[in-house]
Amino acid sequence: MNTTPFTSGLSENAVMITRVADRQWHALDDDLVVGRGHAHHRPDGRLFVSIDAWHDAVFDRLAEAMPAELPTPLYTVVDEADVELTARWRRAGFTVRRREWEYVVPTDPRVTGLEAVMPPAGVTIVPAGQTDEGLLRAVDRAIRDEVEATVGWQSMPAEVIPRPEGDTIVDPSKYAVAAAPDRYLGLIRVVTVKQPRIGLLAVRSDVQRRGIGRALLAHTLGTLHRSGFAAAWAEVQESNQAATALFEGIGAQPMSSNLELVR
Amino acid sequence: MTKHKNVIEVEGKVIECLRSAMFTVELENGHQVLAHISGKIRKNYIKIMLEDRVLVELPPYDLTRGRIVFRYRN
Repeated sequence: MNTTPFTSGLSENAVMITRVADRQWHALDDDLVVGRGHAHHRPDGRLFVSIDAWHDAVFDRLAEAMPAELPTPLYTVVDEADVELTARWRRAGFTVRRREWEYVVPTDPRVTGLEAVMPPAGVTIVPAGQTDEGLLRAVDRAIRDEVEATVGWQSMPAEVIPRPEGDTIVDPSKYAVAAAPDRYLGLIRVVTVKQPRIGLLAVRSDVQRRGIGRALLAHTLGTLHRSGFAAAWAEVQESNQAATALFEGIGAQPMSSNLELVR
Repeated sequence: MTKHKNVIEVEGKVIECLRSAMFTVELENGHQVLAHISGKIRKNYIKIMLEDRVLVELPPYDLTRGRIVFRYRN
């Protein structure tokens, strides 16, 4: 255990920052936990930290103690609208690495303009629940390898669901795909809890810019619309201009943004 | 080791999503608090939406604000 005293003014006693587990810290004031810090590895291997404290002074002290005991780089995520929290992390030396917009995506074809969109010649859309799992896993792996060889998968929207190592498809029934006779060319994953979330839309690099992504989106949004959903939501990395153009071109509206910070 | 929290944990329902990364949560006793999402939830990209049932921590010295620390599945 590593414990350091700190006087915060919270009480007459010193606040103690204590590492209570491998990736967990407590700020203790008069034997009460007044702040907590956590660290955990994402499936992509990066180490993310979080701190919950009511007082700036306690936050700052945890933000000083934790990085001193952890390897770098360290990452965290904040809602950009949360100015106070963002300022706290900046004070701790974290800087913005990337911004991800949350879009609300209409499903009505009269709004999206996707009513007449068809896949390119030789390509068919296989609805969710009807895909071949082997071909699905093959296209998912191929696209992830392509991304990893270029911008890196870690720069793509967060993938945080725990799963066996190497397994990137939790539920094959959530995917629709664009299919050629011999292989799958692209995929889209939609998971619905209360509101549908487009978690992944990707096309193999050698067949991009042919309208396959747009056709997958048209199919998926049309299906959601017929199921009674007026909108879905999706996260798009700000630097991904193609994705931004695709979503904004069908009337998607940015509602909020998340910042990924790094130190 | 002492691990007592100086917070009150209460269940509630999200009744309003505000623009400033805040939420209005109606607690079981009918009171409403202004709550933000805990770092642990945000770190895991857990989305909080209208009408979600959530667990909220309240600091004992200010019962008008809170921190959402858990979202129930149903």
